[in-house]
Amino acid sequence: MKTFIPGLSRRDLFTIGLVILEVVIFSIVSENFLNSSNLRSVLRNATELSLVSIGMTIVILMGGIDISVGSALGVVAIIVGWLIQAEVHPLIIGLVAILVGTTIGFVNGSLITFGRIPDIIATLGMSNILRAAVFGMLGGRWITGLPPVFSPLVQGQYFGIPASIFVIFIFYFVFWALLTFLPIGRHIYATGNNVEAAKLSGIDVRKTRIVGYMLLGSLVGFSSLLYVGRLGSVEITVGIDLPISAIAAVVIGGASVFGGRGSIVGTLAGVFFMAFMKNGLLLLGIPSLWERAVIGFLIIFSVGIDLLINKHQAIAKFLHLKTRQSRVGEA
Amino acid sequence: MIERFFKQSLPALLSNRVYFLIALLIIVLIFLSLISPYFLNTRTILDILRMGTVLLLLSIGQTLVILAGGAGIDLSVGAMLSLSGVFLGILSRTGVDIWVAALLTILFGGLLGSINGFTVAIWGLPPLIGTLGSMWAFGALALVITNGVPISNFPREFAFIGDGRILGIPTQILLVALPVFVIIYFFLNWSFLGRWVYLIGVNETAAKFSGIPVTRVRFSLYTLNGILAGIGAVVMASWLMAARPDVGSGMELQSITVTVLGGTNIFGGFGSLLGTLLAVLIVTLVASGLQLAGINAIWQLAVLGFILLGAVSINQLIYSLKAKQSGLSA
Repeated sequence: MKTFIPGLSRRDLFTIGLVILEVVIFSIVSENFLNSSNLRSVLRNATELSLVSIGMTIVILMGGIDISVGSALGVVAIIVGWLIQAEVHPLIIGLVAILVGTTIGFVNGSLITFGRIPDIIATLGMSNILRAAVFGMLGGRWITGLPPVFSPLVQGQYFGIPASIFVIFIFYFVFWALLTFLPIGRHIYATGNNVEAAKLSGIDVRKTRIVGYMLLGSLVGFSSLLYVGRLGSVEITVGIDLPISAIAAVVIGGASVFGGRGSIVGTLAGVFFMAFMKNGLLLLGIPSLWERAVIGFLIIFSVGIDLLINKHQAIAKFLHLKTRQSRVGEA
Repeated sequence: MIERFFKQSLPALLSNRVYFLIALLIIVLIFLSLISPYFLNTRTILDILRMGTVLLLLSIGQTLVILAGGAGIDLSVGAMLSLSGVFLGILSRTGVDIWVAALLTILFGGLLGSINGFTVAIWGLPPLIGTLGSMWAFGALALVITNGVPISNFPREFAFIGDGRILGIPTQILLVALPVFVIIYFFLNWSFLGRWVYLIGVNETAAKFSGIPVTRVRFSLYTLNGILAGIGAVVMASWLMAARPDVGSGMELQSITVTVLGGTNIFGGFGSLLGTLLAVLIVTLVASGLQLAGINAIWQLAVLGFILLGAVSINQLIYSLKAKQSGLSA
């Protein structure tokens, strides 16, 4: 029940402490780490990851997973690039991006609920179909030299504060409120906690699942605007590291991969942990290929350690249940 | 009559997966011989099937891991293939005898597999998370160690496995694919070990209570998967005469697709190696057919994705129909 309280859980504080520790270590090791221009670029580069991670949190809260977000972002980014080249009004482009993203999410959600395909299989299949679409749509040539239509969303600065901070905090606030105060938020937690119990208490589990994937899709759609605004181009490897980074951010942020437990605040801390780590490795001159290996190990360890901690709780719960049952038996 | 066909005959026909796959295989063969007149002779077909050897090895392992249930899946097979290949390349570069190096590579693959076995079966991570993590870790290590550059300094006689022939049959089929398949088929279908795998997949709790060491069986299956990836790495390196660090990328999708197309239930407990073998033949032939038809290799990704989604949906439909027929509501 801790997760329903609007505030910080102990697990959130742990992740935040981890980020602070990381910042301290990197500022000691590298003198270029703690200055405003570097921190700004860290933030800028982490904007898409932070938004996609919100959606990934929602999906993981429901006990699901989505590894198609990278290819989905690629497909939407290419469409955005085309529309910018056709000089369509930015507002319409934005709407189209969100709509296409949401549609992809709807397809994923439908495959999972109506096709009864496990989340990992459905999104693995989709991921490859969409990746092929990226290759096909680009046709071997990158989209480059796009005018900076969406750059103000990431590059700009308002009241002396980088635009990406605004974007990140607005989205996190909105989705935090949605998960905490709106019925759909409780339905998401309930679905992840115990599907049968959620069904019995009248929650439309199928609808909740599909809505969850659609929310993730819409965030991916919006992130593609940020991607195009940040780079001004779409390359063939677009979004290839995105799913794994988002999953890592979410599990470092304390969400349980079994569903039902996790928080938006934890995920935000997890995103910052990932962003600082990528930057720190870069500053230390470690080849970027290592980054993937580190992310792989991080996922295994953070889930594994969570598991060790929760095993004790699970065992305690189980024993408690046992004693209660035997008491009932005696009576 | 029509209603009966849809309610009884069709599910029965489809649910006998082996017949269904053989029919599909014949359709693919007819289609391919229409595309190219040079297609239908033994030598061409054997040459195409040679390409399927590595996929068959990985898919056998994938089938066993998925069969044993508990949401079992191994996303890291491709990365293990790449990293084992790199290991072989480095050993060969340092002057180790190539056949000794090959043996060590197979053991190294087993070591990688046992890491998955440890995180998933013993530590209790969900298989998809544990193997997703190791997929990235192993795949990146292969790239980091080689700096992305293939290692190619294998002695000439090493090409024997990947490129040689015995009595006209490619060596990798005769000496690798066939024996491995037969041995594992025997174990799965005629030994208590195979019954253990199926029982664990059908009902883990019942398996535990009947004294089956569930954890140890699952650990062994992930290790076996690594060993098969190690064998695959040797075959691949011998065939290309180079150890490419990205050689296994995408193999996880292929092996999972083949496994579910072969009729293995993604939730474990049901499936057969014969189905997997037929599915490997079909997927390999379709891939070469797309090549013959001049379709870009990129679209194979999409085709595989569609086959994967389609095959799982059909499986789910069949299993729910079967459950209804036998009076158990799904």
